[in-house]
Amino acid sequence: MKPTEDESKNAALKHALQRQAAPDGFTERVMLKLEKQRLEALSLAKSSPVPRDSLMAFFTRPLARWAAAAALAAAMIAGIAGGIHVQNVRRERAQGEAAKQRLMLALRIAGSKLQLARSKVNQIGASPMNANQPRADQTEN
Amino acid sequence: MAEPVPADVADIAETDFADLVRRFQSMVFSIAVHFLAERQAAEELAQDVFLQLHANLATLKSEEHVKFWLRKVTAHRCIDYKRRRKLPQVSLDDVPEPAAPMQPGDPFLARKLRQLVASLPEKPRLIVILRYQEDLTAADIAETLAMPVATVKSHLQRSLAMLREKVTRATGEVIL
Repeated sequence: MKPTEDESKNAALKHALQRQAAPDGFTERVMLKLEKQRLEALSLAKSSPVPRDSLMAFFTRPLARWAAAAALAAAMIAGIAGGIHVQNVRRERAQGEAAKQRLMLALRIAGSKLQLARSKVNQIGASPMNANQPRADQTEN
Repeated sequence: MAEPVPADVADIAETDFADLVRRFQSMVFSIAVHFLAERQAAEELAQDVFLQLHANLATLKSEEHVKFWLRKVTAHRCIDYKRRRKLPQVSLDDVPEPAAPMQPGDPFLARKLRQLVASLPEKPRLIVILRYQEDLTAADIAETLAMPVATVKSHLQRSLAMLREKVTRATGEVIL
């Protein structure tokens, strides 16, 4: 009996895509890789015997650990205090600088007012009413 | 004859794991080699799949579960590998056409069909491989690749139509 079109189609594709044997030594290579992975994991575990992510591990460390923590805390407090002091000094310096600027401005304003007053006085001195009076050198002749 | 797999595969020893590899290596390697069309790359990928299986044995409960897991992981790794490596995609039109008429059991036709399948886009290629290599139904493929059954069916129909057209054009007779 002649196969139907569907049967032919399935047969051709199934034949083309049938399973192929894995290369020789495939399983041995997988097991070798597995062993290598295991050894790598072991050497990694040996290099860090105490788990660092454990909170209990921290408390079971020697006294030096506490000393280090205390020193760190002291350093942090000193750092914060120092920072506050520097900030205060900077603020005072800025305030002094602003006061100095204001004084200089006031002095400049006062100086310019004084200059203005002096020029007014000079103008009054040089007015025509004073010009009619004979000068000292003319009366002598 | 194949040895029985322990009921709970999580309990198996190392020697049993080697047996498990032997039992499924042909399936995993064949999916990879049909998809990648590169034996060396397919072997490396298949080895990595088994290493991942070893790490996940505790989550697998039966031989059927192992088989399903292996197909799923191999399929996803094939797509990842292809995307990462950006292997040159052979267009269906670039595959040379056979010079002489061929029959379904013909080794030349088989090789040509493998080339044509390898030139399909990623998802349709996997679907055709799972359908004809593993003899899975559309529903099984949909579950393996986590996609709707309708999508699997439509990919399958379009892929078969493309393959049929290419082969028929060459041989002058309907094989596919």
